[in-house]
Amino acid sequence: MVAIEVEGLRKTFKKGKVVAVDGVSLTIEKGELFGLLGPNGAGKTTLIKCLSTLLIPDGGRIRIFGHDVLKESLKVRRLIGLVTGGERTLYWKLSVFDNLRYFAALYGLYGRKARRRIEEMIEVMDLVEKRDERVERLSTGMRQKVALARALLHDPELLLLDEPTLGLDPQFSRVIRRFIKEELQKKLKKTILLTTHYMEEADELCDRIGFMSQGKIAACATPEELKEKIPHERLLEIKMAGLPDESLIRNIPGVEDVLMIVDNNRTVLRIQSPDPEGILATVLERLRKECRIIGFGLTTPTLEDVFIFLTGEELR
Amino acid sequence: MIRHYLTAINAENIKEWKIEMSYLPDFIRSFIEPIVYVLPFVLYGIALVGGRNSPNLARLVGSGDIITYVVLGYIVMGFLNTACWGMGWSLRKEQWYGTIETIFAAPVPRWVYIAGMATHSTLHQGGMIGIQVIVIHLLFRIFFHTSGILPSLLLIGLMLIALYGMGMMVAALALIFKEGWIVSEILHSIISVVTPIAYPLSVLPVFLREIAKFMPTTYGVLGIRHFLMGERVFFTIPEAVFKLLLFGFVWVGFGITIFLLIDRKVRRDGTLGHY
Repeated sequence: MVAIEVEGLRKTFKKGKVVAVDGVSLTIEKGELFGLLGPNGAGKTTLIKCLSTLLIPDGGRIRIFGHDVLKESLKVRRLIGLVTGGERTLYWKLSVFDNLRYFAALYGLYGRKARRRIEEMIEVMDLVEKRDERVERLSTGMRQKVALARALLHDPELLLLDEPTLGLDPQFSRVIRRFIKEELQKKLKKTILLTTHYMEEADELCDRIGFMSQGKIAACATPEELKEKIPHERLLEIKMAGLPDESLIRNIPGVEDVLMIVDNNRTVLRIQSPDPEGILATVLERLRKECRIIGFGLTTPTLEDVFIFLTGEELR
Repeated sequence: MIRHYLTAINAENIKEWKIEMSYLPDFIRSFIEPIVYVLPFVLYGIALVGGRNSPNLARLVGSGDIITYVVLGYIVMGFLNTACWGMGWSLRKEQWYGTIETIFAAPVPRWVYIAGMATHSTLHQGGMIGIQVIVIHLLFRIFFHTSGILPSLLLIGLMLIALYGMGMMVAALALIFKEGWIVSEILHSIISVVTPIAYPLSVLPVFLREIAKFMPTTYGVLGIRHFLMGERVFFTIPEAVFKLLLFGFVWVGFGITIFLLIDRKVRRDGTLGHY
């Protein structure tokens, strides 16, 4: 059964001057965990907002479990659990329980049934100790758990998770990721569409991934199929202190593409070449003039390499 | 479905009480301020008249009790705050909180949030009026016909329908105007000037008197003072009821139309979550 069907979706802003989503077509099956991967501004959030009836598209058609999002918006909203990015999607002055009770009422849950469901969600999300704590006193990760509990209250068929681990520390990110994969997809059989710009997250979680770039879906396949699109099985990876001039490496004969990841004063270069061993000496010689080499080796392509290879854009 | 919507309206009301009470000093202020607000007008009236009873006011409206006259006018006008500020700011507040997109993704029509806020604001205003009446009565004593309470409540109810329509319009306009308080301020000012709150309608210039006849608050304030203290009015009570129903119908229709148009506009422009 098809959960999400998007046909030729287009959404522009500022009287057509900014094209956010440009003719996107997409089909997601029931039970699938689909990831939209792309840099900031690629159109991922706009697509999610169109799906959740928060934006009216300029053109195209969206159906959620067979319901048209424009004509049957109330039905569609009943089927969706939405977690948008940012911390301020809850009432900070209310406790965890009061937040959930309010949202339960909006989703048609009341009385004993609502109470039971709220307590269940508090337990599932490991929030029992924080039940009566105001949201303003919780950590970012805890707030994200409350947001997930809120989205699950009405037991929706489809979960739209917009950057669910954005701003979380690595430990909390792992907890949320595990919950999405193990609990939501495997155990509760939910259909999940998540957006992220963390390629490790998409690689770890998703059955299929859509690369989104400049409002378009550049590629859509399983992570393994996507990685096969890189023509070489091995890449040359060099770690160094300092910031090298990328063009020095690109000019070397045999270098096809270079991905440069900079984190503080550390740089990682991932170089595509049909003969990585053959170019190694030249690359190191040029880099040594500008930076201190920390390490180098051969590695397999990641989704980020594929993304750059297919779109010419970096994810970060 | 109706139970679902009513539950959501009640949840909205409860949520607002809880958020307000989390700012305790401001919550207490909201109940004291109306007393402080009305006192200067009462004292000014007493000073001008030189006591409680004004022969001139009695000649103009049929009752000379300046204190009861002013207090009743301000009490009824308190409900204008419900529309202009309470309801009018309901969605704007959600934009500030950052919750508007989350609540708009829920399966209830969007007017439910405004209805919830209207319920809350009306209850809050009712509480404020109660305290206002008690305090002023203890300080100055207010005299009114108890037999007029029920018909007065009926008129307040009818007036509120029109004010809710205005509130819905202001709530929607606040979504697109960054300085949305100007809309509330302008509407509140115009209605406050032309409504005979602390003065008889006859003292207004002719053109303002004509405008006043199109304000639901005019029929509300005058009608209620008619029932409670025998003020002479330029209309019959069936006429007032008819006019209030008509204003209610027009303003609610207008408010819903504006609300739907703006809801559509912000979802087209992508500015729903902007503040």
